[in-house]
Amino acid sequence: MEKLVYEEFDGYDHVAEEREVALRRGVPFNAECDSAERYIDLLHPSRLKLRVADIIDETPTTKTLRLVSESLYLPPFLAGQYISLFVEIGAVRTGRPYSISSPPSQVGYYDITVKRVEGGLVSNYLLDDVKRGDLFESSGPAGHFYHNPLFHDPTMVFLGGGSGITPFMSMVREIVERGLKRTVHVFHGSRTLEDAIFHGELDRLSSRFDQIHYVPVIENPPGGYKGRVGLITGELLREELGSAAGKTFYICGPQAMYEFCEGELKKLGVPRRKVRRELYGPPANICEDPGWPRSVAPDASFTVRVNGKHEVKAPARQPLLVTLEQNGLVVPSLCRSGECSMCRVKVVSGKVYQPPWVPVRKSDGWWGYVHACVSYPLEPLDILM
Amino acid sequence: MGAHDVVVVGAGNGGLTASLALAKKGLGVLLLERHNIPGGCATSFCRGRFEFEVALHQLSGVGTEQKPGPLRMLLGDLGVLDDLELVEMSDLYCFQLRDDFYIALEANRESAVAELQARFPHEREAIGKFFDLCYAFSSQFLGAFYFKDPEVTREKYPLVYAYSFKPAIEVLNEFFHDDVLKAVLSMYWGFLGLPPTRLSFAYLALLFFTYLEFKPFHIKGGSQALSNCLASKFLSNGGTIRFNCGAKRILVEDGAVSGVVTEDGEEIPTKYVISNTSPIATYLKLIGQEKVPASALTDMASRTLSPSAFVIYLGLDGTPEEVGIKRSSTFLAMDTDLTDRLLDRMRRLEIDDDMMMVSCYDIADPDFAPAGACQTSVVSLKYGDAWLRVPPTEYHRIKFECAEAMLRRLEKLAPRVRSHIEEIEVATPLTHMRYLQHPAGSIYGFEQYMKDSLFLRPDRASPIKGLHFASGWVGDPGFQPTLEAGQSVARTIIREIRTK
Repeated sequence: MEKLVYEEFDGYDHVAEEREVALRRGVPFNAECDSAERYIDLLHPSRLKLRVADIIDETPTTKTLRLVSESLYLPPFLAGQYISLFVEIGAVRTGRPYSISSPPSQVGYYDITVKRVEGGLVSNYLLDDVKRGDLFESSGPAGHFYHNPLFHDPTMVFLGGGSGITPFMSMVREIVERGLKRTVHVFHGSRTLEDAIFHGELDRLSSRFDQIHYVPVIENPPGGYKGRVGLITGELLREELGSAAGKTFYICGPQAMYEFCEGELKKLGVPRRKVRRELYGPPANICEDPGWPRSVAPDASFTVRVNGKHEVKAPARQPLLVTLEQNGLVVPSLCRSGECSMCRVKVVSGKVYQPPWVPVRKSDGWWGYVHACVSYPLEPLDILM
Repeated sequence: MGAHDVVVVGAGNGGLTASLALAKKGLGVLLLERHNIPGGCATSFCRGRFEFEVALHQLSGVGTEQKPGPLRMLLGDLGVLDDLELVEMSDLYCFQLRDDFYIALEANRESAVAELQARFPHEREAIGKFFDLCYAFSSQFLGAFYFKDPEVTREKYPLVYAYSFKPAIEVLNEFFHDDVLKAVLSMYWGFLGLPPTRLSFAYLALLFFTYLEFKPFHIKGGSQALSNCLASKFLSNGGTIRFNCGAKRILVEDGAVSGVVTEDGEEIPTKYVISNTSPIATYLKLIGQEKVPASALTDMASRTLSPSAFVIYLGLDGTPEEVGIKRSSTFLAMDTDLTDRLLDRMRRLEIDDDMMMVSCYDIADPDFAPAGACQTSVVSLKYGDAWLRVPPTEYHRIKFECAEAMLRRLEKLAPRVRSHIEEIEVATPLTHMRYLQHPAGSIYGFEQYMKDSLFLRPDRASPIKGLHFASGWVGDPGFQPTLEAGQSVARTIIREIRTK
């Protein structure tokens, strides 16, 4: 065989010898190939099989589903993270993110706490039709709403609205169960006292543990109610907390609550970096969004062509993702609130409305990619998924 | 879905340029991508109001319009140059040793040499000669191999003969006495993943040459902009991409590719497959080792896996100036050790005295982060093995501890950084395993030991007829090489099809 040119280079003999030894002594990669995959499956399984072990009544409109793993293993999570529960209701395959309300120290189950949403497809199904023993698939735990020891303060202020209390419940329970050196102030806004999820437990924990402070804030209090009423205002926070300095604020609740609370916190001089907000699904009524184009009527609907094949009718006020699911077209989804980018699809032609707060990669914007869970058709569309 | 001329597995850099180059020639190409977005490593992610660049630090080989480098020409050939905004970075790199030595080098040969000579006057002459050698070696090397001289001889290319198989450290030791200077000049080892004791001088010389001549670049919108641009161009040239759909099997009959089975179980007949995933997964999982010639398996087993990385990404609510970051690229070192002990550090789980690279894209591209804010990333190379031994229940705790140690090191460069953190994300070797699915989370493919690199790396063509590779696994790692690999594989396949 003709000698290759590099075999003449200085030092080649030594390198050739090393190569020779490596060829004789090499170890195949079969083990490496699987070990990474097996490990990742323990941290971030793509699917979990969960069985409903128990159903706990919390309030007249809220239940906790206690979910145990079919494989007897549940991946660890950070208090505040969620799972996306996948369901099949009629012909529609969809999913919903639910914060885990049990603490990470409880390794036997995940609790999710579901509040009835008026007309809500999934919440009504989970509250009315699901029985003990039913089997679900879910995503692994996900999300970025947790205490980050790298830059969050050990004093945490939770502002929860309605079922937005669920991630905070996990955090509070973890602090208590693991004896963490953190102080929390829980402000929980509810319509009525009866609606205040976890009221009893939070009340009990706050009287037992010095570092847990609990302030229910009731919008429509019963006569003679002595606690805090109305909304979680800056003034209320100042009275309860004193200074806002040295504290990290966490907000979880409906869209209107973010707008309100963020404004209130700004008035208190809390810098943006001290405010964490959890995602909370698409806005209840997108047509009320300040950026919504007036020219498109709320009851308008448009034809959407998918992958050049299917044509579906898409109401303007409904997220594209939901429309696709209703037509049997399943786009992978996780947070369903605009953040995780799992439901990224390409708009080839036509315009959609995507609220400005949706974190979309710059170049995705340039090339027409949108997050289908918070994108609304404004024209006939041609999309690729 | 019917037959395709070529099925490309993976929409990383190599898969994207290969797909686009083939589609432009009118071939029917199906590109399968497991993830929901093209790019592989060349991607970004959002946290809050920030978008973070995952992989690109300094794009090489770009050059100016007047003096285009090979990558600018490649992007021109593929017809994507007008859709991209390439931003020149004026810094080569800075080097900070503990908190008592700091040097900033510009991406300009004269000024870089002058600065080095001013700071190391006792090595003045040697510094000039060292860069002379880097340049002379590079021009000989490129003349012989990039421009493919059919007759390479010792007389024409003496430096190629003398230096290609010489470890970088030997050359540094021959030229210099000052350990700090040697450390300053060896920092690019981090771009290859092996210490200068193990790395050919060729890489060091070529990196200095390419970054000084063609300048380091950044892309507006980050590397995801390049990936999105290539993918869109591929679609408009008639290509088909399937996201959220990886390959499950590559079908091989009588030693030749016959089709691909997708994750959803669909069988797609094809005679050509370009694998943009590792040869390891390609041979052992997608094909099955019983169908792979023994020589290919032996060759593969003779190689080793490069390190993965531990990275923190920070979104900061201040300008680089307010935060205390002055330059685009800074290497942080705690000592001047250039021995094999660097390998031990990379094998360790903990972050301690590791070499780190700090990148702040906002210096060259003030629009990168929102107005008044900036972002920065800090990366250390770490082998994945130690992370595979972490009990899953301890993972988050250890991840935060390591990130805390890294943050403390960053504070030596930018003391005010912590009070500006608005977002932070941490990527460990396990994160890389998860998203890349590379064994051990390897970010550079196989290691670039002298016995495995340059002329001795794995072949892009495989012994299985119709199967080709395009990735950092079969060539040099990095953006320019992987983008070039895809185009080169496309050319090979077009030639093969035409000669039939």
